[in-house]
Amino acid sequence: MAFQDADTGAREPVNPIELTNSMIFWGALLALLCVVASGLSRRVGAPVLLVFLVLGMLAGEEGVGGLRFDNVSQAFLFGSLALAIIIFDGGQGARRDTFRVSLGPALSLATVGVVLTAGITGLVTHFLLDLSWLESLLIGAIVGSTDAAAVFGLLRSAGLQLKERTSATLEVESGSNDPMAIFLTITLVELISLQAENPGVRILGAFAEQMGLGLAIGFAGGYVLVQLLKRLSLPVSMYPLLALAGGMSVFGIANLWGGSGFLAIYLVGILIGNASLPHAKDIRRFHDGIAWLAQIGMFLMLGLLVTPSSLVPLVLPALGIALALILVARPLAVAVSLFPFHFPWREQVFISWCGLRGAVPIILALFPSLAGLEHAHVFFELAFFVVLVSLVLQGWTIAPIARWLGIEVPPVLVDPEHLVLRIPDEQEKEVLVYRAVAGSPAIGMRAGRLPLSGGAQLVGVVRQGVLLDNPREQDVELEDHVMVLGNDGAAPALARLFTPADASSSQKASAFYGDFVLKPGARLADISLMYGIAVPEALQALTVGEFINRQFHHKAVVGDRVSLDSVEFVVKKLDGDQIAVVGLKLG
Amino acid sequence: MHVLSELLTPGRTVCRAPGSSKKRLFETLASVVSEDSPGITEADIFAQLIARERLGSTGLGAGIAIPHCRIANCNQPIGCLVTLEEPIDFDAPDDLPVDILFVLLVPEEAHQTHLEILARIARLFSQSSFCEALRDAPDSRVLFQRATEWQA
Repeated sequence: MAFQDADTGAREPVNPIELTNSMIFWGALLALLCVVASGLSRRVGAPVLLVFLVLGMLAGEEGVGGLRFDNVSQAFLFGSLALAIIIFDGGQGARRDTFRVSLGPALSLATVGVVLTAGITGLVTHFLLDLSWLESLLIGAIVGSTDAAAVFGLLRSAGLQLKERTSATLEVESGSNDPMAIFLTITLVELISLQAENPGVRILGAFAEQMGLGLAIGFAGGYVLVQLLKRLSLPVSMYPLLALAGGMSVFGIANLWGGSGFLAIYLVGILIGNASLPHAKDIRRFHDGIAWLAQIGMFLMLGLLVTPSSLVPLVLPALGIALALILVARPLAVAVSLFPFHFPWREQVFISWCGLRGAVPIILALFPSLAGLEHAHVFFELAFFVVLVSLVLQGWTIAPIARWLGIEVPPVLVDPEHLVLRIPDEQEKEVLVYRAVAGSPAIGMRAGRLPLSGGAQLVGVVRQGVLLDNPREQDVELEDHVMVLGNDGAAPALARLFTPADASSSQKASAFYGDFVLKPGARLADISLMYGIAVPEALQALTVGEFINRQFHHKAVVGDRVSLDSVEFVVKKLDGDQIAVVGLKLG
Repeated sequence: MHVLSELLTPGRTVCRAPGSSKKRLFETLASVVSEDSPGITEADIFAQLIARERLGSTGLGAGIAIPHCRIANCNQPIGCLVTLEEPIDFDAPDDLPVDILFVLLVPEEAHQTHLEILARIARLFSQSSFCEALRDAPDSRVLFQRATEWQA
C-alpha cells in the first residue's frame, strides 16, 4: 500500500520543544473536556461519542480551536492502535457463559450479516452516487461494523438492562464483526487499486488466509499470554501492562504475517477475560479505562480530521445512504442472519435498530486515502456523515425503543460495598467483609443462621472493632462487620442480606416476574389443578421448564415469558444453561 | 372493598406463633383453619397446601409467604394470618427466612376470582409498611385489627 501524506501545506518552522509542550497541553485539555462532558451527556441522554466528535470538530480548523490536523498516516496509526485496544477490551468483556445463547447468532451476524449489510448499502450507494460497483461496495464495507460499547453506555446511563440473549449477541457481534468489515475494506481497496482479474476468487483466498491466520495466531498468542499472566511473578500494577503489551504484540505479529490482527487480538481478549487470573479485576479495570481513553482520543482526532464545510455538498446522498443502511440494509441482514436462531421478534427488531456505527467505519475510511485511491476524500466524508447520522438517530432513541419493545429485565441488585481478600489457592475462595448498614435484612438475624448460599461459611463478626466470641450465636446488629468465606456464587445472597431493602425495586421485580415462583420440574397438569387454568391435552404431561424450553428452543434466558390461559410463566433464574426458577404471574 | 376483612376472622389470626419447621408450621396452619371453618378437614388442608408447596415455595421474599390452594367443600375464600416468634427457613426465592404467613383457601370453582384475590393479597403484602405494622403487633387482637383496618 502506498502511503501518502496528505499534510502538504507549507508551515513555519516551529521550535520542537514548544510544539511538544503545546501539543501535550491541547491534547490533555481536550481529553479533560471530554471526560467532564461525558458526565454531562449522561444527564442529557446524548451519546457520549457524539460529544467527543463535536468537541473535536469545535477544536478543529473550522471551529473555535482552529487546530489544523490533516495527517492521514498519523491518524491511521493512532486510529489502528486505539481500535486494537477497544477490540481487546471488548473481547475481555465477552463472557464464555453467555456464548450458549450468543455465539451462533453473533457469528452469523458478523459474517453473513456484514456481507449483506455491505452489499445492500453498496447497491443503494451505486444508484445515489456516480461511483463504480467496487467503489460503492467499498462504502458498504466501510460502514459495515457496529459498535456495542456505545449502545451499552447509553443503556447503562438510562438504567436499563437487556435480556441476556440480546445483550450478549450485540456485544459479541460488535467485537467479531470488526475483523470482517476491516477485511472486506482492505480487500476491496486492493481490488480497486490493482484492477485485478477474478475478484471473487481473490476475495475467498484472502478471506481464508486472513481469518485462518488470525484465528491461529490469536489462539496461540492468547494461550501463551494467559500462561505468562499466571506464572510470572510481578508487581501487581504490572499485570495489566503485561496483558496490554502482550495483546498488542499478538496484534502486530498477526498483521505482519498477513493474518487479521483484529481477529487475533479479539481472541486474546476473550481468552484473558475468561481465564481465572490472579489479578483479573485489575486487568479488567485498567483496560476499561484505557479503552475509554482510546475512544475519546479516536473520536477527538476524527473530529479534528474532518473539514465540516466539505461535508455540505454530500449531505443529501450521505443521508440517503445512512437511511438505507439503518432502515433497509441492517434489518434485512439481521432478519437473514438470525433466521436459524428463532429470536423473538421484539428482540430481533431491537438488534436491527442497535446497529450503531462507531469509530471503526471512520478509521476504515482512511484506507482509501492511504492507498491513494481516487475520490478518497469522498469515502471519508461519507463514512463520517453516516456515523454521525447513526449516532444521532439511533443513539438518541435506543433507550426509549428498548422500553417500548419491553425487552428489558429489572436490574439485578448492585453489590453493596464490601472488602474482598482473595485466598490464593485452587478453590478461588475469598473472605468477604460486609457491613450491616441501616435497613439491611441481616440485622436481627442469628449470625450462624444467615441464609448464605453456594457453600459460603461464616468466619466471624466484628462489633465496634472487636471480634465477637462465639459469633454463630450472636444476632447481627447495626454497624457490625460480618466476615464470610465463599466464592463468586455467594455474592448474590450476601448482596441481598446487606443491601437496605428497597420496596420500589422489589415491587418492580414482582410486577415483572410475578409474585410467586415455581420449580421448573412442576408439571403443567398439577399447576392446572392448583389454579384451575385450562391446559391443552397435548401439554398436560410437560413440566413448566420443558414448556418454556420448547418455546425458546432450549435457549431460554432470564426474562423470557410464555402465557398459558390466564397466567404467565417467566424465567426468573438460570443455573448454567438450565432453568432454575420460574416466576408465576397471575391474571 | 377491603380484601382482608372479608377473608379473616379473629379465630384465624395468630400472633407470634412458636416457629419450628416448615412441615410443623403447615400442620399448625391446617389445624387453626379447620377449627374455625366447619366442613373442611385438617388433613385435606395440609395435603393441598403441601401439594402446592411441592410445585415451588410460596414465599414472596422479604420474610413473607402466602401458602394457597383450592379446597373441596369450601363455599367462599378463607384467609388465615400468622406471624412467627422466630423466622423459619421457607426456601423463599430470596433465601430469607419467613416470619409472616397468610394462608388463602379458595373454592374449587370460580378460579378467575381466586387468581384475582391472590394477586391482590400478594400486592398488599409486598408493602413493607403493612408488614412492619403486622410484625410489631403485640397480640392476636391487635394483629387482626391492624390487618383488617389497614388503609393502603
